[in-house]
This record gives sequence, C-alpha cells and structure tokens, in this order.
Amino acid sequence: MFVQGSGTAQQTYDAIVVGSGISGGWAAKELTEKGLRTLVLERGRDVKHPDYPTAMMESWQFAGRVRQSRADAARQEKQGRTGYTTHPASAHWFVDDVENPYGEVKRFDWMRGYHVGGRSLLWGRQSYRWSDLDFEANARDGHGVDWPIRYKDISPWYDYVERFAGISGSRDGLAQLPDGQFLPPMAMNCLEVQVKERIARAFGGRAMIIGRAANLTQPHNGRGGCQYRNRCIRGCPYGAYFSSNAATLPAAYATGRLTLRPFSIVTEVIYDPKTGKATGVRIVDAQTNQTTEYFARVIFLCASAIASTFILLNSKSDRFPNGLGNDSGELGHNLMDHHFLVGANGVSDDFGDRFYKGQRPNGIYIPRFRNLDAQSRQKDYVRGFGYQGSASRENWARGIKEMTAFGADLKADLIAPGTWRFGIGSWGECLPYHENRMFLSTALRDKWGLPTVTFDCGWKTNELSMRKDMMNSAAEMLEAAGLKNVTPFDNGSAPGLCIHEMGTARMGREAKTSVLNGWNQVHAAPNVFVTDGACMASASCVNPSLTYMALTARACDYAVTEVKKRNL
Amino acid sequence: MSGDAGPAGGSGISRREAIRRAALLAGVALSPEWLSFAAQSQAPAAKTYLTAAQGAIVSAAAERILPRTDTPGAIDAGVPAFIDRMYGEVMTPVEQKLLIAVVDEIDAAAKAQGGSFAALPAAQQDAVLRGVAAAQQGRQPASFELLRQATILGYFTSEPVGKNVLHYDPVPGAYDGCVPIDQVGRRNWT
Repeated sequence: MFVQGSGTAQQTYDAIVVGSGISGGWAAKELTEKGLRTLVLERGRDVKHPDYPTAMMESWQFAGRVRQSRADAARQEKQGRTGYTTHPASAHWFVDDVENPYGEVKRFDWMRGYHVGGRSLLWGRQSYRWSDLDFEANARDGHGVDWPIRYKDISPWYDYVERFAGISGSRDGLAQLPDGQFLPPMAMNCLEVQVKERIARAFGGRAMIIGRAANLTQPHNGRGGCQYRNRCIRGCPYGAYFSSNAATLPAAYATGRLTLRPFSIVTEVIYDPKTGKATGVRIVDAQTNQTTEYFARVIFLCASAIASTFILLNSKSDRFPNGLGNDSGELGHNLMDHHFLVGANGVSDDFGDRFYKGQRPNGIYIPRFRNLDAQSRQKDYVRGFGYQGSASRENWARGIKEMTAFGADLKADLIAPGTWRFGIGSWGECLPYHENRMFLSTALRDKWGLPTVTFDCGWKTNELSMRKDMMNSAAEMLEAAGLKNVTPFDNGSAPGLCIHEMGTARMGREAKTSVLNGWNQVHAAPNVFVTDGACMASASCVNPSLTYMALTARACDYAVTEVKKRNL
Repeated sequence: MSGDAGPAGGSGISRREAIRRAALLAGVALSPEWLSFAAQSQAPAAKTYLTAAQGAIVSAAAERILPRTDTPGAIDAGVPAFIDRMYGEVMTPVEQKLLIAVVDEIDAAAKAQGGSFAALPAAQQDAVLRGVAAAQQGRQPASFELLRQATILGYFTSEPVGKNVLHYDPVPGAYDGCVPIDQVGRRNWT
C-alpha cells in the first residue's frame, strides 16, 4: 500500500540519515550541529538512554540463568552463533532470525541489532587508529584498489571523534598504531604486567599495551565514569561507554533539528536522472507496512556494511539497473571481516596471594608486529594481525571442565579463586577479494516481503597462512613469558562472526573500480554518502568502529560545506 | 547523567554498604539472610516438568554433588527447581534425554543396592554416584556430567550463593588489578 502524507513539505528535510548506530549517530550529531534539519530513519524500535532492561539484573533473575529458552533460541539460531550474543542479558538486542532471514552460499554469521543505537550498544569498544601502513596497503601489495585518502586526511578527524567519544588508553609511540586524544588508561593486573615485561624482553621491545577502549575512565562530556561492572553489552545506565544512545543522539536532539523515526525500513534511494542526484528515500513502516517517501538534499547511508549496500542494490532505475552507484560492478563485492578465534592460553603459578577488584571491561592489546618493514616481512602472507587478551583467575566455571568430581571439596574449591590464566586471541586482516560478496535474493523474502541478502564469502590462502603464524606466535610469546601448560588453539571462524563486516561499497580513486570517492560520496550520485563499514577499501587488523566515526564526521563536514556552497 | 552524582550512582553507595553488610554473613552457616533467599528459590514453581520420582532423584543427587557444609548446599540454593526448569524450558532435546538417562541410571544403581536413591544414607548415595560416573568414563556425551554441570551452574548463579557465598559487588566503581587476596577475601567475585 502506498500512502503519501499531506504533501511533500512535511516529508522534506535538509538531510536524511539511514541508521542510528555508530555511524548514523555521528552523522545525526554532525549534520544537526552544523545547522541541517535532519531525519534519522531507524528500522527498529526506539531505545532511550538509560532504559536498558537487563542492565542491573543478576544471574538469578533470568529464568534460564545463562541460557535463553528453547523457544527463544529457535528464533535466534543465527544470532546465537557467537556463543555470547543471545545470552538472556543481551538477546533482546539481536534480531529475530525468523522475521529477518538471509541466505548463505557459504556460512556467514550476520549479527544484527535492529533498534535505535544499533550495534553501538553492543560493540566491543576497542578503538584503534589506522596508520599509513593500512591506508597504503592496497597500493603496496596490489590487492583491492588504492585508498583515496591517507592518514593525514583522517588524523584530525580521529582527534575530533576521540575527544567527544572518550577513548581511554596509553600513549605508546607506535608507528603502526598512532596515539590519540586519550583519557587515562585502565590498569593491567598483576599477571598482565609480568607478561608485558617478559614479552618486551624476549622479543626486542615488542609492545603489549592496555586496550584502547571507548570506556570512560573518568566522567566525560556529561557522561559517567566506568563502574567496572563489565556488563556493557546490556547497555550502560551510566553512559560510561560510547553509544549513539548515550552520546551522539542526545547531542543531536539538543540542537532541536533532529527528527528520529523508528520502525522505518528504508527500501531504496530515489534517484532523479535529470539532476543526477538522489531526491530522497522510500521506506516501509515496520509496524503498519505503509510505504512513505522522504526527501532531502543529502542522504547519508549509515545502515551497516551489509544493509547500506542492500539499499543501494535494491535502488534500481533505468540509469542504474544493477543498483544505485553500481557503474563499477563492485557494489556488494569485496566483502571483508576479520578472522579470529585463534591464539593460545596458559597458566601461571605466580601471584597466588593476589587478586583484582572490579570487573574491567577491557583487556590487553598486542599491536601488529609482522610485515611492518623489511625485517618483519613474512614470506607466506601479506598484511598482519594483532592480539587481544587478558589475565584472570579462574572462577567456578572451571568446575564444568573437571569431569566427574563432586562433593564438599569441589564446592569449597570452586568458591575460591582458581589458577591465574592468561590468554590471547588474534584478529587478522582479510584481503579484499572481488569474489567475496553479498547479493540480493528475491526468492527468499523477509517478514515485509522485501528481498533478502545472500552471502558468498570465504577465507583464502593469505588468511589461512596468516592463521598459522597467529597461533604459533601466540604460543611462542606465552612460552617466553614463562606461562605453563601453554595451549595453542585455532577454533576457526566463519566470515561475519567477528562482526566487523565491511567493504561492500568501497572507496577508491576511480569510478571504474569503486563505488565511493574520497569523501564517501557515491561517484555517480554525489549527494549520497555511505560512511559505515561498506565504504572500506581494506580491512586493517584493528577494530574498525573508530574509523567509521572519523570518516562519518569528515564526510558530514564536507557535505555541509558543499550544501552551503550550493554544490549539493 | 553523571555516574558519580546521578541517581544510579547515588543510590549505589548505600546499596553497596548494604551488600557489604550482607557479605559479612557469608560463611556463617544457616544465617537467616541466606535461608530466606533459599526459601524464596525453593518456593513452589508455577510448573514442574520432571515427575515427582525424577525430581526426588535430581534433588538428592544435586545435594551430594554440592552438599551443605558451612556454606549452603544445592537444595538450599534452589538447584532442583533450577534443573527442573532447565529441563522443561531450556535444554535441547539431546540434553533432555541425557538428563532422563542419568536419572534412570542412578535409580537403577540405587535399586540394585536395595533402595530408592533419595532414601539412601549420604555415604551410599555418594557410592552410587561414583559408580555411575565411573561406568560412564570415556562416554561422549556423559549423562552424569550433564547433571553435574547443571548442578554447578544452578548453584553458582543462584541468589543465595551469588549474594552470600561468592563476593557480591555489583557496582565496584573502580578497578584495582593487583590487591592482596586477604584484602578482598578468598572468594570469587559473583
């Protein structure tokens, strides 16, 4: 059913932002603060800070304690593939797979949060800058297309978003992981400090640093400091980690220029061949199924790497029969994610008389040390990887592993803190391959009768060769650090599981081989910007969200300048 | 909202004091505090899924896996009701079959010793469980292991244990990565 409202005036804004996650929240803030009346369209329900229903609940207040019911699990079969997302404390932030199906030529784990704030409520909060090692990588080794920007282009925008978001971390002076505008770092625990010193000694100064995290170590911009509960994924009532709900959307609301419309599934961007620009977007109301159009001078697609590209692919016209902006044929291709779940762990006999106080929502980070220069060049693979990890004393859950033991001694043992354990897992860069892709399926339809996404994406030789080093280097470091029972692991990870999907509408220097230019503009529709993970021309090995924030703020600044110059 | 001065932070202070007071009672056997929690968690569930006979075996076995000592036992912590609910609403069909299988094995082993498991003295119950566990060595998946794990999970995620046996500090407010263990107690954090 097509229902047009009472004239286009009420449906016309200066800017439309599709999506309210990390990128959409930033676009909303920047565009409204720069004077644009902005409509944010979010496909899911509204979530207002600090209304996070499970935030203060304890394990005994969940019916299944740590597991959801069979009935709930049946509706989140794919969302549960991580092993943690559909815990009863956070399952309500992940989609219903029955209403929101997708296809898999090869396994792809697509974790989605359809609500205001999106995955900014759920993210791991690790926040690292890229360096020119990353921005020059494609040009250097010939994979993918060259990034149209370099570190100097984005560096001031990293400064800008870090100052607002609040990133805690230490200044470490590493070329491959530039320092930023940091709040005080979190502390390492006893064993982490020891391992750090020993790794540095054994490997010529190799760095192990405290994670740089979007968790506030002190009150910041009206938000509270971290309470060390480590329950971030439930939503933080203190606003102590960066989310759209706690940070960017309140700033956008404060301008008086934000309109946020939940339950608005954007199905396509409307293109005007006469002007060569988009005029607006078409939505389906998720509750009423009514179709409505909204109009604006600039449109920011910030719906996620997969959803923004879905919208472009679904925006077909005579000018763009294969999807808006798809002259290059690259739209939907070059899908990337980080590969992970490989590393090592071990135990320590030291510090039996020491413990920690508080639950730190952060770990340690070992920045990339491979393929930085001639000396660290590897013959089996290009690019590199980093490690995240932590040390802790084992808790009662260790009892789950000790087969058959029972009785009073077991109980007393499990109440007490167990052995100190240190583990690291590696996050590896994935190359951009044209054949790794997502495409639309009209055969499989969602609850609203819309086409769905199918994935055809897999790791190749470079990733698999890298994984061997990721595992062996982890074990080597832990051995050198004096840990006992060092156990390497490679549990395998399907693309998507790392929830760092990116690259489906890549930036590039040439319209022939890329979808977006150096300002995140669709080459052939310059008032359409894509600033989420879709825009990425390569993946680096560091967590990507901080880069989405910086690219979004940079693109918004450019867009508003162009609007004011009447170029858009 | 500021975490330091805002409503949640403000009420957190008095709440933490209350928790600290409660934590002092931990380790004091049969304190009224945790008994009242235990009573709550043992309140009859709206619905039970195992038969009374199955439930009696689960209950008695769970209590031997984590028996009452100077800290609450599995029954005090409401583990039998937890396992019943897990069986009815959470466990996969494979896990459900395993639970029934171990209950049947325990039942059969007890009857071979001449009585119902729940009625045997504790030492004999332990012998029955050891026998069942030994017979399953190397079996994958082992049904006794499922019962043992469900008991541990139900016990350590329960309110009486979470609040009064483990170290309960839901809003720590700060992080110290290396403290003398006697300063915080030789108990895991909830």
